Order: sequence, then C-alpha cells, then structure tokens
Amino acid sequence: MEEVGKNESIRVSIDNDGAVVAEGDIDLAGGPVLDTAILRLENKNPVVIDLAAVEFIDSSGLRSLLAASRRAQERSTVVVLRNPSAGVKRLLSITGTTEQFQIEAAE
Amino acid sequence: MTTAESPPLGTATDTAPGVVTLTLPPIASMVRVGRLTASSIASLTDMTIDDIDDVKIAVSEMITLLIQSGSRATITLRFETTADAFQIEASTPAVALDLGNNDVMLATAVLDAVSDSHDIAFAHDRILIRIVKATADQTRG
Repeated sequence: MEEVGKNESIRVSIDNDGAVVAEGDIDLAGGPVLDTAILRLENKNPVVIDLAAVEFIDSSGLRSLLAASRRAQERSTVVVLRNPSAGVKRLLSITGTTEQFQIEAAE
Repeated sequence: MTTAESPPLGTATDTAPGVVTLTLPPIASMVRVGRLTASSIASLTDMTIDDIDDVKIAVSEMITLLIQSGSRATITLRFETTADAFQIEASTPAVALDLGNNDVMLATAVLDAVSDSHDIAFAHDRILIRIVKATADQTRG
C-alpha cells in the first residue's frame, strides 16, 4: 500500500487494487485528506473507498463521500464503499444517504 | 482549559463530575479533543457504548458547525451530568447563522438522530447549540 496522506485524524493509502483506504477519523480535520486522495483517483471507474478501519465519521466526513459520489455521477460512474464500518453504516442510515453509494460488504 | 465545579473530591459521588467546561480554539484538530472529552465524561455515567458513540457524534457536529459558522473565536463547551441526562452546550461568537445552509441542515439532521433533544439558536452575537442525551437509567425505564 502507498500512503498518500496523513494527519492527526486520518491515514489514507492506495492499495494494490487502486482503492482508497481510510483509517481513523473522517471529520473536519480528516475529510480534506480523504478528499485529496479521492481526487487523485477519480479517473478510476468505479472509485473504490475502503472504510473498514474508519473509527469515527461525522457529517463533515460524510460530505467528502457525498461530493465524490456527485462527481462520479457526473462521469456516469459510482463510488463503491468497501467494508464500511458500523459507524459509517449508521451515519449513512441516519442521513438517508446510503442509496448514493454502492456498498460492497466483506464476505 | 478544562474546569470541574463539583462535587468535592473524596466523596462517594466524586466519579460524577457535575459541570465541566472546556474552551477550544476554532481549528479542525480541536474537534477530536472535544469529542474525546465528551466521551470521557459520558463514560462516567450509566450510558451504554452506543449512547457514548452518539454523544461523540453530537459533539463533533456541534464543534464543526461552530467552527464553520462562527467568527473564528474561542469555542466554549459546557458539559453537565445529572441523575438522568447528559446536557452539552456549545457556543461561539458569530455574525449570523444560516439555518437553511445545506451543511447546517445535514448537521441538524444528525443531531436529531443522536440526541434526545437539541436546539440551535443565534442571539446576542453568539451561536448556541444545546443537546440533551438521556442516560441509560432513564431510557430503559
């Protein structure tokens, strides 16, 4: 895996399959780091974001994911959220935004 | 800076902090500090792990909203635990508050889901956000 961004909230890497892997907290501090990594991979179809190691997410972090989804739709593709953690799934459910993404759960 | 007002040390109830205040500079890395403070205080009550997770989300939304809508001034948080609830107030100076802003509406929707009651107000050149989360004793009858 190649680390592409890191701060006190989050560590973001690109795995061997070209997926963005987020570890830590996607909040006001972590969201911009994730944004940068997602923008770097937006020529991929689809954009895959692994969220298994996300310990916390709030609405500012969700906005990063929703912005990526919106841009993907403009390119006629989708954002795949791979293995979203319980916290991510809860926030998607609370905000009614689950349908904005393709969810890929672990087998 | 964090201050605790009561109860006195050495009493049988000294694990319940009463009122704790916290002041934070309006920068993104402080959202995590507020969140961890809130969860530490919540863990001293009868709240479940899920309730504490809700408190963490609520405080994160409150501080983020104040950073984004405030006047880049100090954010003040007041945490109060009572026998049946955990109340959190957060405020900061501001010029205005646009409740119709998409980001504010999303944050409000999240606060609605993770708290038992919440209120966002703009008065006297300050934004004040208040949430109440019942502790386990009350929610489980």
